[in-house]
Amino acid sequence: MAITVKVMKRPEHEVSYLRATLKGLALTFSHLLRPSVTMQYPEQTATDDWTLSPRWRGTHRMLTDEQGRSKCVACGLCPQICPANCIKLVPGEDEQGNRYPLIYEIDEFRCVFCGYCQEVCPEEAIHVGVHYENAEYERGRFVYDLERLCAQTHPVSTLWDPSDPKGQ
Amino acid sequence: MTERQDVVTLTIDGVEVSAPKGMTVLEAAKRAGVVIPHYCYHPGLPVAGVCRMCLVHVENTPKLQIACAIPVADGMVVNPYHDEAVEARRGVLEFLLINHPLDCPICDQAGECELQNYVFREGRARTRYSPTYAKRFNPVEDFGGDILYVPNRCILCTRCVQFMEHVADDPVLNVSDRGDRAFIGIHPGEQLEHAWSGNVVDLCPVGSLISKDFLHKARAWELDKAPGVCTGCSQGCNVVLETLHNTVVRLRPRTNLEVNRFFMCDHGRLDYRWLNRGDRIEAPLVRQDGDLAAVDWHHALERAADIVKGSGGPIVVLASARASNEALFLATRVAGERFVGAFRVERVDGEEPLPGVPNLALRSERAPNVRGATELGYTETFDAAVTALADAAAVIVVDEPLDTVSNAALAKVPSVIYMGTTLPEPARVAQVVLPITNVAEEDGTFVNRDGRVQRYLQAKTGPGMARPAWWVLGELLVELGRGEPLATAGEAFEMLAGAVRAFDGISYDGLGYLGAVLGTAAKAEATA
Ligand code: SF4
Ligand code: SF4
Ligand code: SF4
Ligand code: SF4
Ligand code: FES
Repeated sequence: MAITVKVMKRPEHEVSYLRATLKGLALTFSHLLRPSVTMQYPEQTATDDWTLSPRWRGTHRMLTDEQGRSKCVACGLCPQICPANCIKLVPGEDEQGNRYPLIYEIDEFRCVFCGYCQEVCPEEAIHVGVHYENAEYERGRFVYDLERLCAQTHPVSTLWDPSDPKGQ
Repeated sequence: MTERQDVVTLTIDGVEVSAPKGMTVLEAAKRAGVVIPHYCYHPGLPVAGVCRMCLVHVENTPKLQIACAIPVADGMVVNPYHDEAVEARRGVLEFLLINHPLDCPICDQAGECELQNYVFREGRARTRYSPTYAKRFNPVEDFGGDILYVPNRCILCTRCVQFMEHVADDPVLNVSDRGDRAFIGIHPGEQLEHAWSGNVVDLCPVGSLISKDFLHKARAWELDKAPGVCTGCSQGCNVVLETLHNTVVRLRPRTNLEVNRFFMCDHGRLDYRWLNRGDRIEAPLVRQDGDLAAVDWHHALERAADIVKGSGGPIVVLASARASNEALFLATRVAGERFVGAFRVERVDGEEPLPGVPNLALRSERAPNVRGATELGYTETFDAAVTALADAAAVIVVDEPLDTVSNAALAKVPSVIYMGTTLPEPARVAQVVLPITNVAEEDGTFVNRDGRVQRYLQAKTGPGMARPAWWVLGELLVELGRGEPLATAGEAFEMLAGAVRAFDGISYDGLGYLGAVLGTAAKAEATA
């Protein structure tokens, strides 16, 4: 059985695509005249052209005392609280018999950037940082040791807004 | 049971409780399951009544009372959580904290500190003292022995003074100076050298008296704990083995009112490093072409069974008095009719008693299972047995370190089966070497000098293919066609209890955590 095709006759202005095309182009070209919102990363970075929230939680930084030693006393609270179990701590004793971290490492790959470590630290030693550029050439480099954590210079997170601590 | 005249009934925190006359309110409260905060009170020490932490409200009395010192009375209504009492204790805690350094982050007691606990429970959230107030400071003092004194953390409960004076009977500690300058002093020229002085570290409710051995080693919350029995001597003190990452880091006493009450001696406390030895045998070895070669369990057991089957003549079992009853018993089974068993125990001169506790001393025989070995037919004739080895058809060594045995002694014997944790020089002539676990790595039982059978539980995992000695000997019996496989130490014990008269009426489950004395179960049945 042969197939019969019913041919419909539509008005000319409905089948022409010309109108829609011109409409689209008009919208496109109108953007040329509007102000740009794109940030030109990496030419533009957060340091000069825009700001991160002070509550941003990025890779860690260990604060140091006046002598440049880490403020950590190896109390063991941060490895305990860490939900990602990514802090390795081995306590040691220095020449004066003070407790200090013999090994302190954070695996930034496993970290979920919750900021609990900063919150729990009684010595205000470990902090999450206001920092986002973390690229490395090797995976192993994402395990930050104590020296590297102490050498970081980026600002540290405030975790909460001091003027509105409960976030209301 | 009929109501006796000397029992009174009182109400503590709404709970009605009966207690014998003369008992203190604090102890009665414990029975009722109500914890009244306390510092100077300790069940093993005389009442001092100095800390005021146990202040409670008692109806119809004008003032708050200290629960650790007032005796119970009929119809007494005690309310530890009355507003007035809670407020008073909050005040006590505030005073304790005025000069407290708050160095919990570096304090070994953190996590098991009674000051932390009570402040967290009922203390003030913030200090009312000025942040610039200069706290009293005294440097850390070495009290001798294993003990450091950190005076800044001391809350002057005097438990340590009480212990040294009334329990150890060696009163070298005192409260020096007075008022807010008071601290714990040690008599000039004296040290904490008593054989039981390490207990003051456990007694100290805060981190003021701390162990040098444990200093900075671990945080309290990281430790895994398992009940054990001390292997230091034949007293058999109940202990807790505390491990960190599969390493034993500390032993502490476990309460058993019949044996060691709340205490253990320093010798036993510090004798744990051997449990962590690294030079362990990790696979069964058999002699092949003159050398010992690692094989699987099946092959090793087959070889061992061949040795036992093939030998006519006495099978000498050289056992350690540190081996479990289960292992010692199964070794007698493996040797069967031809069993000759000997053990050796280190004996030192004199005992080190703890005067405040009857029948408690660091005993002169320095192994935990001398009585068990004796009950199971082993004799303390080790040296004679070694000299007579030439007549033996085979030797089975069970966990004996062979320190006193010359290299040549075992070489005389046609076949040697060595079961041990490490491989000492004289054992290298063995035909079969079977790696076993040490006491921290297995379940089992010991019998102490007073005939108390006590269980110990596994605290860490053994290395490599090492297995408990009872398992190894059980499998060997299966290989010999003389037994069923044993799955647990409990099954091994039941087999023992069914076969050895001395253990009549004792069941593994019935031992619980406190043990049972040989012979009493049968007697109790007879009188019932
Ligand atoms: S930020 Fe959270 S996940 Fe990351 S190290 Fe700290 S506690 Fe662990
Ligand atoms: S919580 Fe702070 S002081 Fe404690 S171990 Fe972590 S970084 Fe160190
Ligand atoms: S050292 Fe410890 S046990 Fe002794 S008085 Fe001070 S707090 Fe109490
Ligand atoms: S008295 Fe004996 S059993 Fe008790 S702790 Fe000391 S060594 Fe161990
Ligand atoms: S426990 Fe009662 S006064 Fe110390």
